[in-house]
Amino acid sequence: MMECKEFTCIACPRGCRLVVTVDDGVASVSGNACPKGATYGAQEAVQPMRTLTTTVTVEGSSRRRLPVRSSADLPLSRILDAMAALDPIVVRLPMRRGDIVVPDLLGLGVDIIATDNLAAPTSGVAQDADP
Amino acid sequence: MIHSVDTDIVVLGAGPAGLAAACAALEAGARVLVLEREDRLGGILKQCIHDGFGLVRYHERLSGPEYALRDVDRLERLGAQVMQEAFVSSTRRVDNGFELTCVDRGGVFAVRALALILATGCRERTDRQVFVQGDRPAGIYTAGLAQYMINIQGVLPGRRAVILGSGDIGLIMARRMTLEGMDVVAAHEVKPEPSGLSRNIHQCLEDYGIPLELSSTVTAVHGTKRVERVTVASVDGSMRPIAGTEHDIPCDTLILSVGLIPENELAQSLGVPLDPATKGPFVDQTMHTLVDGIFSCGNAVHVNDLADYVSESGEHAGASAARYVARRRDAPVTGMATRTLVPVRVDQGFLYAVPQYIDTSTLTDAVMYFRARRTMPSGAVVTAEAGGKTCFKASYPLVRPPEMERFVIPHDTLMGALAARRDDEGLGLRMEAR
Amino acid sequence: MAAWMLKIEAGWTAARYPYRNVVNDIQVPGIKEDRLDPVAGRDGALAGRYYDVAIIGGGVVGAAIARELSRWDVSVVLLEKENDVAVHTSSRNDGMIHDGFAARPGTKKAHYNVRGNRLWEPLCRELGIEFKRPGSLMLFSTPLEVAAYPLLADRARRNGVDGWEYWSRARVFAEEPNVAMDQHGGFFLPSAGVLSPYKATIALVESAILNGANIELGTWVTGMELESGSIARVVTNRGTMRAGVVVNAAGNWADVIAGMAGDRFFSLHQRRGTDVILDATTAPLQHHIMGRPSLSQARTRTKGGGLVMTVEGNILVGPTAHEMPGREDYETRAEELEELTKHVRLNTRLSMAQAITYFSGVRPCTYDEDFIIERSQRVSNLVHAAGIQSPGLASAPAIAQDIAAMALERVATFKAVRPRTGWLADRPAAPEPKRMSAERRSELIAQRPAYGRIVCRCEEISEGEVIDAATAVLPATNMDAVKRRTRAGMGRCHGGFCTPRVMEILARETGGPLWSVTKKGPGSELGVGPTKGPRP
Repeated sequence: MMECKEFTCIACPRGCRLVVTVDDGVASVSGNACPKGATYGAQEAVQPMRTLTTTVTVEGSSRRRLPVRSSADLPLSRILDAMAALDPIVVRLPMRRGDIVVPDLLGLGVDIIATDNLAAPTSGVAQDADP
Repeated sequence: MIHSVDTDIVVLGAGPAGLAAACAALEAGARVLVLEREDRLGGILKQCIHDGFGLVRYHERLSGPEYALRDVDRLERLGAQVMQEAFVSSTRRVDNGFELTCVDRGGVFAVRALALILATGCRERTDRQVFVQGDRPAGIYTAGLAQYMINIQGVLPGRRAVILGSGDIGLIMARRMTLEGMDVVAAHEVKPEPSGLSRNIHQCLEDYGIPLELSSTVTAVHGTKRVERVTVASVDGSMRPIAGTEHDIPCDTLILSVGLIPENELAQSLGVPLDPATKGPFVDQTMHTLVDGIFSCGNAVHVNDLADYVSESGEHAGASAARYVARRRDAPVTGMATRTLVPVRVDQGFLYAVPQYIDTSTLTDAVMYFRARRTMPSGAVVTAEAGGKTCFKASYPLVRPPEMERFVIPHDTLMGALAARRDDEGLGLRMEAR
Repeated sequence: MAAWMLKIEAGWTAARYPYRNVVNDIQVPGIKEDRLDPVAGRDGALAGRYYDVAIIGGGVVGAAIARELSRWDVSVVLLEKENDVAVHTSSRNDGMIHDGFAARPGTKKAHYNVRGNRLWEPLCRELGIEFKRPGSLMLFSTPLEVAAYPLLADRARRNGVDGWEYWSRARVFAEEPNVAMDQHGGFFLPSAGVLSPYKATIALVESAILNGANIELGTWVTGMELESGSIARVVTNRGTMRAGVVVNAAGNWADVIAGMAGDRFFSLHQRRGTDVILDATTAPLQHHIMGRPSLSQARTRTKGGGLVMTVEGNILVGPTAHEMPGREDYETRAEELEELTKHVRLNTRLSMAQAITYFSGVRPCTYDEDFIIERSQRVSNLVHAAGIQSPGLASAPAIAQDIAAMALERVATFKAVRPRTGWLADRPAAPEPKRMSAERRSELIAQRPAYGRIVCRCEEISEGEVIDAATAVLPATNMDAVKRRTRAGMGRCHGGFCTPRVMEILARETGGPLWSVTKKGPGSELGVGPTKGPRP
């Protein structure tokens, strides 16, 4: 089965318009200005991958949320599952950028890591976390 | 008498522009005080938890907080003096520089500095300035406010949202709100083209099947306590609603992503001339405004798309301010050389270009940023010339107003061209369709 | 709209006849008139309670009446349907304390305006709010208008206005260097003042509360039960209460309230007006209120509008005046904004580019276009303060004196009325650090560091001031109420920076979750829940 897709490359800010034909799972890319575009285009047409960036709940501090990201891209088709899996996660401070919040999320081989440093609350100002 | 602090350079704002400026100034040996009104450094990047930052500067794809942390760490290592939750109440010029009256939890204090770097960023356009008519119920938020509520406060702003404007922040929030379980009905853009970066249209709208309606706007908001529905209508070539095209969309949230305005109240109060095309100060290629000793960088100068370029302008401002301060200390005030500023003249193809002036005494290359006035789908050739000499020429496969472009004029070729020009001639920038 | 104007014209025509007033029940096809929506019962907190005087309406008039009554040893309750005072007309006007010239001589408007104008300045000192008296300059556009000066002077004299002057063209230029070139001198009324109408309303209520009065917000009067020609019970969404006297100060609903008591002898029609607010950089550009009189002032039903400086240093352009149905319809139409450019031209340094926002208000007007300040003729314990259109704000303290006297006269028929011992004239105002000297401000911050943490950076408002608003005698319990007290949210960024910070403070002070902080009371929550956990 042959399919043709058109979309903008996101590998760099240039944003080339790619045209990708997929024939039996094999992709052929045109419109790219560089090899990164060819790689991206092929992947995107067959199985789009995305970085997940979101927040998780912080407990015991007025800093209610910790920003996190996936350590690598995961399939776009699994993003909402990933969000659901992260929903009940709660962390306590301090957290530092790079700390692993959830290893191997959904068995996809991707960790969820903190992207900011949040200091522990100074004594006496811990408040109910949930807004 | 209130407590007074003396320093060489005050950096107002510790977002990406101010952080980069402070680091650069410190590395050049100046004394620096950073004043930040929030309780943490990083500016708007703290709430920009999505990635895409640092592609140019670090060749990595970082989230906003990660990008900011690089500079925050560097600032810490350089031993900067930073005051958080400090607010500048007023400023004035004094004999040897500037005096700022500030307030924080410790009280009112004064800061005296030889130079100022204004890294005050920008604010969001709101419904009033866009003149969305109607009642004022709860549920109308600018995209940045919704972003703060969701990412920092963990508050879900509503259940069902319509987005007005296809600016990047609105697009990012379309995705963010969807991921957090809201129903994002559509984005409506009054212009016939989207305002945001192409990759955001793809990753934030197309990925989630959120339609983008062009040449469309919100004409009324209904609901007394909370938004209940909005009326949208198609618009004509003059962006006026077309009668008969109105229809209502039930929703409880209206997100406004209708533009950013550089924050320059402080600049104005100090008499710094602003360029109406950018709404930021006129600057030379070292980010020195037309008032000696006042520098500016980042979104306060013009609204950028990439934090990487914001940082770059901060680096230039910081280095320039440090050089200025060193010259001030070495020479008596009357001995300061005045800058020779050559104006940059853009043709109709440009919405604007920054810097608007070239200081001929500077030894650095000139980094130029510009936006095209309209989309040129087959691309454009941009030329910089003076005195009949071309000092830069490049071909762009596609230019559109939402995507800011950058080029560098090497110092020698720039000076060569400027030397050849007539006295009343500026540096001319031309844009021609390909 | 043409059909609507026919209804209004019919009412005006009827008003020319020497009847007491006009009730206009003409139905215009296609226009559904506002009714007081049925309100769900909230709690039974007022069931069975009794007050000597119940005032219906928490606008500036109701508030002023409450304060007047608080001088006496009588029990008072102010019933207000919204979740703060001054939510409607009293916060949607230009704050001008008119000189009293514009009203037709012999009307109640003229009488109460002039009396009220004299009362406001000392009253503001007691209330701890700012009062300014810039005076009002009406510019002559043509020599013909100059010739009419004696007529203007005569009207001012008949109304008892405190002073009027003729200013030559040269004098006008000297006083207002930025004035437009095409002026031929002006008519200056030095007694015109300005204040913040919502701050005044809040201060009046707080003063009343400090002197024993009660206020019930979120309280809707839904009916009245009469016995032997007097109101026996007042039915509310919080139970049925009893009152010795009922005062109708219900603004744009005063005719509906009167109807509940079987005393609807007048109808209100609404006249909407829009003002544009210019930013505070305009403050030094003008020294007096400016406008152009219309020689047909006698025939126009609303003062012509112009440029009014606020106490905060903005300039208001307007207001417009249009007959529009909708008792609380504040929609601002683009055409009205365009109408206002004529006023901006009076000052060469002003332009609409300086506009930061706009707002609309609705005036409650009777068909004879005058106030109703009188005891009911049918119900023995009902007093009306109705049809309070412009110059209602200026007139409020004087109206309050007379209404309070009428109410007390009735109270005296069933109990002895004595002055309240230890009545407090002064109401302490919360500090405004931004306006203090650096030294005084530092001292204040040393006592309370929260005054040093700026949460609204457009208006330079501190956390301490927001906390003060949330913990005041009449506390702010929602975002709009905080805005009325502190101005947080009124600056250039329209709440972009301060909203989350004010939310945190309100959530802390009211003890609820962050997302449930409201804009203006239940139903207007800013969020719907937290971003994690079960979705709401």
